[in-house]
Amino acid sequence: MSNLTLFLPETVCLLGALVLFFAQVFGARYTVVWLLGLLSGVAALVAAVWTWPLAGEPFFPGIYRVDFFSQFVKTVIAAGFVIVAAISGRPHTVRAGAWLELPMFLLLAMTGMMMLASAMELVTLYISMELAAYPVYITVALHRNRDISGESSTKYMLQGMIASAITLYGLSFLFGLTGSTYLSAISSQLGTLATQPLFWLAVLLVLAGFLFKLAAFPFHFWASDTYQTAPHEVITFVATASKVAAIAVLCRIAALVSPAAGDAELITHVLMWMSVAAMTLGNLAALRQGDLKRLLGYSAVAHAGYVLIGIQAMSAMGLTAALFYAMGYAAMSALCFLVVVELGRDEDLVTVDSLAGLHQRSPLLAATLLIGIFGLIGLPPTVGFIGKWFLFSAAIEQGQFVFVLVAAINSAVALYYYLLVIRQAYFAESDNSNPIHTDVVTLAVAGATTGLVIAMGVVPGWFWALSVEAVVALMG
Amino acid sequence: MGDTSLLTTILLCPVVGLVLVLLTPARAVQAVRWISALSALAAGVLSVHLWRAYDTVAGGFQFVEIVPWVEQVGISYHLAVDGFSTILVMLNSIVFFTGVLTMWDLETRVKEFFAFMLLLVIGVYGVFLSQDLFFFFLFYELAVVPMYPLILIWGSGNREYAAMKLMLFLLAGSALLFPALLSIYHASGLGTFNMILLAQKAFDPDFQIFVYPFVFLGFGVLAGLFPFHGWSPTGHVAAPSAVSMLHAGVLMKLGAYGVLAVGIRLLPIGAVYWAPTFATLAAIGVVYGAFVAIRQTDFKFVIGFSSVSHMGIVVLGLNLAVLGKAGQDALNGAVFQMFAHGIMTALLFSTVGFIYDRAHSKTIADFGGLGSLMPRAVSVFIVAGLCGAGVPGLASFWAELLVFLAALKTYPIMGVAIIVSLVLTAIYILRVFSLAFFGPVNTKWEGLRELDLKGWQLLPRAILLAVLLFFGFFPRVLLDVIDGTTTGVLAAF
Repeated sequence: MSNLTLFLPETVCLLGALVLFFAQVFGARYTVVWLLGLLSGVAALVAAVWTWPLAGEPFFPGIYRVDFFSQFVKTVIAAGFVIVAAISGRPHTVRAGAWLELPMFLLLAMTGMMMLASAMELVTLYISMELAAYPVYITVALHRNRDISGESSTKYMLQGMIASAITLYGLSFLFGLTGSTYLSAISSQLGTLATQPLFWLAVLLVLAGFLFKLAAFPFHFWASDTYQTAPHEVITFVATASKVAAIAVLCRIAALVSPAAGDAELITHVLMWMSVAAMTLGNLAALRQGDLKRLLGYSAVAHAGYVLIGIQAMSAMGLTAALFYAMGYAAMSALCFLVVVELGRDEDLVTVDSLAGLHQRSPLLAATLLIGIFGLIGLPPTVGFIGKWFLFSAAIEQGQFVFVLVAAINSAVALYYYLLVIRQAYFAESDNSNPIHTDVVTLAVAGATTGLVIAMGVVPGWFWALSVEAVVALMG
Repeated sequence: MGDTSLLTTILLCPVVGLVLVLLTPARAVQAVRWISALSALAAGVLSVHLWRAYDTVAGGFQFVEIVPWVEQVGISYHLAVDGFSTILVMLNSIVFFTGVLTMWDLETRVKEFFAFMLLLVIGVYGVFLSQDLFFFFLFYELAVVPMYPLILIWGSGNREYAAMKLMLFLLAGSALLFPALLSIYHASGLGTFNMILLAQKAFDPDFQIFVYPFVFLGFGVLAGLFPFHGWSPTGHVAAPSAVSMLHAGVLMKLGAYGVLAVGIRLLPIGAVYWAPTFATLAAIGVVYGAFVAIRQTDFKFVIGFSSVSHMGIVVLGLNLAVLGKAGQDALNGAVFQMFAHGIMTALLFSTVGFIYDRAHSKTIADFGGLGSLMPRAVSVFIVAGLCGAGVPGLASFWAELLVFLAALKTYPIMGVAIIVSLVLTAIYILRVFSLAFFGPVNTKWEGLRELDLKGWQLLPRAILLAVLLFFGFFPRVLLDVIDGTTTGVLAAF
């Protein structure tokens, strides 16, 4: 029995998905389905928090590890899901016939993401990855306007499959080199493996699938299109929970090979250049975007670059910073997408221009966007500032002065397009002065997330301590 | 309230003000104004108390408060003041209070305006009070953030351009600071951001020489250092009065203070190595700013470029200080100038803003004989302008005198060039006077006769004027506070 309690958050998600499956078969109303989805999310969140002090293996030894790292990541993922569920009260941009399926698919994807955080065996890892991916492939294509979402969702799925094939290819190398699919076996043979270039190539290939989820260069091509044309609620999920899961696996792999970091020059270099390319490309491309979600898509590419700063450091400090930033980033982008969802009820695409007059139409939404954007820029008092500070600190610790300089200059470049968004919301006047009415649930979520973004920025001690503890569990 | 938490209490005044303003409904504009004014007044009273309680004989850092914040990485909430920050806190309080009064008539989006302004003030206090490198930088960035909406929404003229340019320049400066400050932390090996401890660490000379320019230029951008001053005049011109006051009066001092507190204190060898180069840049800025100011057609541009010139004197003083020949004078002069220029430029912008709000013109040639139409406003402006020109009896005289003497002793040729700039300053100031204030009355402005400063509108200007005169006649009151700290800082050289 005690073993199964370790699997409680995932069980809650699976049961929730099952209930939702029957609910839609029996033709429940969307409100009921939505409430069930929201409740499952909250239950999963509570279950994840409840399992914080636990550690162990619910299944066969060596396959699936529950420790503070995995449970912490699951908590953040569940929190991301709760936010998405809460703002999906009326998912207007989702095709009318597909509303009932939406919560179920997202719950299933969340199950996969949670399993990713615990998977300690290559096949389990791969299966979790696909479980996390397929429901999202489907939901991304559910936009009410088929003309818009057709191309980009196909693109997303194809590129996702290519990336996962590359990962699979890398996994086969790892298996060939070690004769085992267990990460523990790889870690025990690390001394001999680390001297073989093939091993490092395999690790890089394995990373591909997760770099794709993170929208890191060179797997970022989907981001702009998919962000632009996926239903607002779905892309919120992709921009929050999905990113956290990807960062968790990257941390897991980096922690696995970090004892041999001395031999890992190839991989650190590759990751460093990927990071530089991602942030430069993301920021430069975002400068010219007129579509708000597309802009946020490129901004996500740039942020993938920032997170890689922590990963490539391959140190405890770096991974802690990456995990901390993952948490903060999920909250910041949730704020921005929350505004997109509210603003974009009647619009298939949300342009930057449509923000005009937001400060009159809804001062609260404007303030929410302001905090979210300030966070993405990296300005105090939000978590964006201190998150970047920690990431940069990890790189400076490795002596990468120029790298940090490049990253910091990138943040200054990014300022331009972020400020234009704020300018529209706060300064531009518009003929449309209809107030935007926001329901109580959304307001509560906006308030709580804003509070989180500022609390993490001003009193980061507790959150940082959690990240440290998680990384200790990960590396120990 | 004991003195043990005096600094936190000062910092909390605008924080409490901000929270209350946010909780006040947007319609209750009068309440918003009063909350802002009262929080400014409270901070001002506490600043006076701080000035009096600061023990000038003991010197050094006083009123220390340390609370561990993120222990694993050595960040602590660490406040303390030395002589320099004591007077700069005072400066901020004065400009904050008079700024709120100056904006009393504001009618558009009042709540948002005062909220952003309070946020800016929190950042400024934080920088002057923090002795933890992380918090120092956090507050530094926090002070810059609200400038964008403040200029964009309540500014005038080319405000979108000015607001964006300002943010891009200042955050590009921050981009240099990120790696530099983190390198200082990691290179120290102490695992702490405590600036007092870091200052005691002797960093490797090569490291200092490598990192110092990043620190200097990063902060120097905000101090309006030539040739990175481009954001400053355009920003001043487009900003609303109180924001120009805070911006030129206090915000630019943050840059100079950063150079002093982080650059010179923590990296003395680097500072000495680069001082000749950066002193030259600063001297060019002094002369260049004055030259450019002569040709301006817009009131605010004249003041904007005069700020570049006057802040050049501060930065020049800082660089001369480390070169040893007349260090004490140079550093005393530089810090005195931060204070004097802050008050003076606040007064100038406050008055120009007043005239602009009534006449809706800032073009100098547009006016004529304004002195007989608005005698009070113009008199105030003239006194502040003369202060800029270094007329004895006003605070700037002493500050400029000290720096010029140090310049003559250290680099005689540069010293002469700097003194020539004083003549240029007199030219551009007197040009404004003669074109706009004297001569035949331009009948177009007859209506202004009714709109001169009166009643409570005189209050903020009177306060600033009184401060300028007081320190013009009693400079020792200020020098006594900073002299001990100057000696302490220069002991490292």
